[in-house]
Amino acid sequence: MALLSNTAVLLGKELRTEFRSRELLTTTVVFILIVVVLFSFTFDPTSAESRRFAGSLLWLAFLFAASLMLQPCFLREQNNDTLSALRLSVSDPFTIFVAKLAANTLFLLLTELLMLPVFSILFNVPICPVFGRLVLVLFLGSLGVSIAGTALSAVSAQARMRELLLPLLLLPLLTPVLVASTQVTVGLLDAQPFMEWKGIEFLVVFDVVFFTALWLLGEYLLEE
Amino acid sequence: MAKHALGSAIVVLLLVAAAYGAFFIAPTDVKQGLIYRILFLHVSSAWAGLTAFFICFVGNLMYVWRRAPQWDWLGTSAAEVGLAFTTVVLVTGPIWAHPVWGIWWTWDARLTSTFVLWLLYVSYLLLRTLVEEPDRRALFSALFGIFAFLDVPLVFGSIRWWRTQHPQPVVMGGPGTGLDPTMWKVLFFSWMAMLALMTLLLLARYKLEAMRGDLDIVRREAEAA
Amino acid sequence: MKNLDSVFAAYLFAWGIFFVYYLSVARRASALRDELKQLKDSLNRGK
Repeated sequence: MALLSNTAVLLGKELRTEFRSRELLTTTVVFILIVVVLFSFTFDPTSAESRRFAGSLLWLAFLFAASLMLQPCFLREQNNDTLSALRLSVSDPFTIFVAKLAANTLFLLLTELLMLPVFSILFNVPICPVFGRLVLVLFLGSLGVSIAGTALSAVSAQARMRELLLPLLLLPLLTPVLVASTQVTVGLLDAQPFMEWKGIEFLVVFDVVFFTALWLLGEYLLEE
Repeated sequence: MAKHALGSAIVVLLLVAAAYGAFFIAPTDVKQGLIYRILFLHVSSAWAGLTAFFICFVGNLMYVWRRAPQWDWLGTSAAEVGLAFTTVVLVTGPIWAHPVWGIWWTWDARLTSTFVLWLLYVSYLLLRTLVEEPDRRALFSALFGIFAFLDVPLVFGSIRWWRTQHPQPVVMGGPGTGLDPTMWKVLFFSWMAMLALMTLLLLARYKLEAMRGDLDIVRREAEAA
Repeated sequence: MKNLDSVFAAYLFAWGIFFVYYLSVARRASALRDELKQLKDSLNRGK
């Protein structure tokens, strides 16, 4: 299918661009670390409480990082004037979105997986017994964040105050993702870990609804 | 002009009648006594606000499809009016909560969701101030408006689920509290009165936006001249 | 009657918010009308 092969090509370009410099990944990881350290100053992370708060802090840190990390998504194209070339290179503008959101999901997931062991040590929460299920909720949550974030990055790239605008638009929209992901994660990091499947359901619904909306409306976001 | 004055008079009358109903016709609640009467104002504002946001959603969809500026005017007017009603919900909530629970704010499901709803549409309006080109502004705010409205059921659903995990004092009475038939009638009438007010405000705001559209045209003429 | 003042306060605040919003729309409309009139006048003078 043309869509898949074009997406693969564009995705390859996104990954090559990032891995050449790795600046986005490095800065995001460092930012999350800073946020985590700052959080630890605001409450006393003793063992019992930190289990309850670890999940929430994890997702807050990821959300803040994502709202910064998604800025360059379309801004880079805008600044380098490559957006029109990109649009011309594919028959379906949705391909551009799929490639970018796949790349963003991957980058987010990568930073989250890098941060997990650090978080586990800093807050004394074991992640190994629940690692698989954690990856599931991280993936679904990051996918939701990327779908909304990639779409809104196209909007903010063409507005004033874009650094503030993207978080302003993105964060209220991602409320369901934050609520659901946090609930699942808190359940998994509990002393007796359990899986909140309802939360996974919400994440799947969110991802499907917004992916469909992006599919139907994406071309308008990239209009000249 | 006369039609406008008549319309306003009717709306005022309806609001006064709704208030009368809330104070004198609806029976007293066994559990909460007098304070529950805020419900007629609080809930009817919430429903009217959601109706306004739905109208905004329709305007957004139509704009993306048709690109006629009138749909953009409708969308932005409905968003602002909806925000006014949602503000009333957020203000009457604490006024209700404080005598009953002794606290001003409780992160109960409905209030929290309403707060997020409020933030979503404030962002919508802020977005409009930050995109300069009128066609792009209309398109982008329409697209964000569509995303925002699609998000609304997810916001309400996920927050309500979250709250069943961590129960908090519920502003409007929890499960088991119901409304008797007279209360439902008064509530329905209050909602109708609020919808009439919403229509009045929407018309006024729409006219303002239409005038702004005219002004842009005349301004461009003046610059060309 | 206790809590009556809270109920009154709620209604007053609510109607106050709606009234203030209506005034804000009316004020913006009148400012726009003035600007429109000014522009149209200057256009006509130019013609």
